[in-house]
Amino acid sequence: MEDTIKTKRMSWGRRNAPAIATAGPVSFWMIVFVLLPMIYVVVISFMSRNVYGGIDFTFTLANYKEMMEPLYLKVIWKSFKLAVLTTVICLLLGYPLAYYIAGKPSATAAKLIMLVMIPYWTNSLVRLYSYNLLGATNGPINNFLLKIGAIEAPLDLLYSDGIVIVGLLTAMLPFSVLPLYTSIEKLDKSLLEASKDLGANAFTTFRKVTIPLTMPGIVGCILLVFIPSLGMYYVPEALGGGKVMLIGSLIRNQFLVTKNWPFGASLAILMILMTLIMMWIYTRVASLDDLEEVF
Amino acid sequence: MKDRVGRIERKKRSFNLKMTIFSLIVFAFIYLPIIVMIVFSFNDQKRNYYWKGFTFKWYEKLFTDSDLIQYLWISLAIAVLATIISVIIGTIGAFGLVRFEFKIKKLINGALYIPVVIPEVVLGIALLMLYETANMPLGMAAIVMAHVTFCIPFVVIIMRGRLAGMDQSIEEASMDLGANRLTTFMRVTLPMLVPGILSSCFMSFTLSIDDVIISNFVAGPKSTTLPVKILSLVKVGLSPEVNALATVMIAVLILGLLLNSLTQAILKKRAENNVKSYF
Amino acid sequence: MKIKKALVIMLAFVTVMSFTACGGGSSDTEDAGELNIYMWSEYMSEDFVDKFEEETGITVNFSYMNSSEEAVAKITAGGGDEYDLVMPCDADMTSLIEGGYLEEIDTSSMENFQYLDDAYKGRSFDPDTKYAIPYFMNYIYVVYNPETCPKEITSYNDLLDPAFEGQITSVDGIRNLFPMALEALGYDPNSTNDAEIEEAYGWLQKYMKNVKYLNSDDAEKELVSGGCSVGFVFDGMFGRALEDNPDLEVANLTDAVQLGVDEFVIPKGAKNKANAEAFLNFMLDPENMAANIMDGHAYTCPNSAAVELCDDSYKLAKNIDIPKEIKENYFLQLDVGDAMKTYDKFYTRLKSEE
Repeated sequence: MEDTIKTKRMSWGRRNAPAIATAGPVSFWMIVFVLLPMIYVVVISFMSRNVYGGIDFTFTLANYKEMMEPLYLKVIWKSFKLAVLTTVICLLLGYPLAYYIAGKPSATAAKLIMLVMIPYWTNSLVRLYSYNLLGATNGPINNFLLKIGAIEAPLDLLYSDGIVIVGLLTAMLPFSVLPLYTSIEKLDKSLLEASKDLGANAFTTFRKVTIPLTMPGIVGCILLVFIPSLGMYYVPEALGGGKVMLIGSLIRNQFLVTKNWPFGASLAILMILMTLIMMWIYTRVASLDDLEEVF
Repeated sequence: MKDRVGRIERKKRSFNLKMTIFSLIVFAFIYLPIIVMIVFSFNDQKRNYYWKGFTFKWYEKLFTDSDLIQYLWISLAIAVLATIISVIIGTIGAFGLVRFEFKIKKLINGALYIPVVIPEVVLGIALLMLYETANMPLGMAAIVMAHVTFCIPFVVIIMRGRLAGMDQSIEEASMDLGANRLTTFMRVTLPMLVPGILSSCFMSFTLSIDDVIISNFVAGPKSTTLPVKILSLVKVGLSPEVNALATVMIAVLILGLLLNSLTQAILKKRAENNVKSYF
Repeated sequence: MKIKKALVIMLAFVTVMSFTACGGGSSDTEDAGELNIYMWSEYMSEDFVDKFEEETGITVNFSYMNSSEEAVAKITAGGGDEYDLVMPCDADMTSLIEGGYLEEIDTSSMENFQYLDDAYKGRSFDPDTKYAIPYFMNYIYVVYNPETCPKEITSYNDLLDPAFEGQITSVDGIRNLFPMALEALGYDPNSTNDAEIEEAYGWLQKYMKNVKYLNSDDAEKELVSGGCSVGFVFDGMFGRALEDNPDLEVANLTDAVQLGVDEFVIPKGAKNKANAEAFLNFMLDPENMAANIMDGHAYTCPNSAAVELCDDSYKLAKNIDIPKEIKENYFLQLDVGDAMKTYDKFYTRLKSEE
């Protein structure tokens, strides 16, 4: 009670000093480096391309109408499918690994987390090209299979949706392990014991206690894996053999090749809205305080 | 009774074994491309199209006459700076966003998701336009600022999760004992946040050291990072020298990890002798 | 606690140091003795650059691009003034010139300008040769492996034969694929007619059925690995593939081949324009250029005097010594204006089909 009276008497600056000191820098940074550029992107999404690939500053809704064409919806749908698949596999692989690591003493856990991350400090392009080397017509896998006589002609192992997903997994797995580990590690083990003591079997405990308690980690994983894999274009381009067109490549082409920045901007905004709406629905369903405050 | 405990023990052990095997498989998946990369760093084919023969010559070239190293130093400098800045701003920012109410909080919380959600090309071009409008020269500083921009949200997401699950009563106790807000933050809150800060550092460093698309747009003269150089090399074939460099980096990191556990073991022994001095 | 404090101090120190280092770095760009070039990686001899630095005392800094489009995007966004020389390709020249993004090059003071072949002076997009000086040229040839190629190829249409299914490795890109299709159909390769572009799309649908790998960076690797027997590739890629498979041949087509030119331009606001011009003059010197070519950069060069000075190892190289009837029957990529949107739509459709 005394505290509130004191705050009322203080000047605005003093009252908000802790908030300004802590949230001020991040707010400033977000406004200058994110919101200002975003305003630019939103504005040009309502413009059109001029003959020489510049921006014609007259208002139009044409870009938004255009992307509702089945052609673009198809590209978006395919990107969506691949991203969902990548996220699900990342969760299936990442959760048990994170759980395993979290069960270790903290010094060992830190080292294991390092081991997960270290490969990602080398160049991702070199890592992706490893798959191209491995699966090439005259690469080690084909050579081995030919030598043992399992096949008669080299197999086409590359340039498919499957290898694109493998590539996306390679690029995304650490980003799923890290948030999962952070939240599993925080898990109060006594609750699991309690659940067991109350007669629940391991699976029920996992489903009813572990999963809900580690939901922030799962959401973090979805956030960090699903969204980037939706927009990533160099993985499909390095591994897809140039035949897989996803929304990331589509947007890149609008900005660079076609020089139709307005259309590229409107596609980007559609993508942002799509993911924000998905997150919103998700948070409504799962009613997570942490994410809810966004809206 | 004894029997039941034994059964549970056995079950637990078999579960642990399964988990260990599964984790090993996932690790194998993560390290498969690395192993291929290392093997092909000894390839005697200069564009690494196929395996031709064994050679050490790329390592020789790397240590005697390589221009790749200079790009690595640029990348490392950028990644270290971007990590430090984004973790500092992000950590105290997450604290402010969780603990205080202010007018534009919702706006900032929303804005934090944009760099995560936005396609990299769009952020790259938008930042390029921003720098040009502000008449800021492209180059190292521009790249660092761009990296900080996409690292901060990850730091905030990780730290917010950490703060949300934290027991606030310890901080209250500290304040009751007469410590002011700053002291409480520095002495009580911050130490409790250390695991989160470490994850944030990992995340930011990883994102920054490997970024190519955004760096590409905001790089200027004399600020070519290693990923940007490597991407430009794809045109003429990625030489095994690139693999050799990546192999050396991995080797250094793993060696560092081993050294670190050694020193930690020594420090731990020492710390046991003077626990009191910690607070 | 002591360790932590020391860490914080160290980090602060590093931060401050690196910022002052950045500041120092950007201030010496003002110095007149520099030249900032933004071009392809591994596309110019190091000895050639060293010689230029020695002769003039100018320090050359390279930045590397991954596509001509990227370079153009950087220039049009206003970042061109960071560089003194940039290397877009000829197809982008019209928009760069019309958009006012380039400085005029003073060719009158360049004594070696005379060595540039006349065919590359006064081209349609740059009638007074004020804006662009070509560096190297890139043809896109149909290349085949005589041992494994299932059929003789005499025109682009032959590539649609089902015998080539999964046998073709090809460069990618809207403005590489559509002109080939338009040429095959007998239309203007730079057509802006919607109906013709749609027909070209139909042609490319069939082409895509035969294509195994589509990539503008390393399409040649499938020729080397034996994955494909036919390639629609740049002559530079052909040259690289020949290192491992010297049997590859160029198909003699009745259709025209595509030619792209890598141009040096000086972006508007370049800080070291005089140095850029000195560099261009140095580059056009036949002896210098010949040395550059002979140092592992065997591309087609628009400087006949330089080519004369080269050894036979270059002049008779399989990717350079192409019969005149193939080489002289070429077309260029021109700016297609708003038709680009139509091209893009059909290109997206082409790539989103299963």
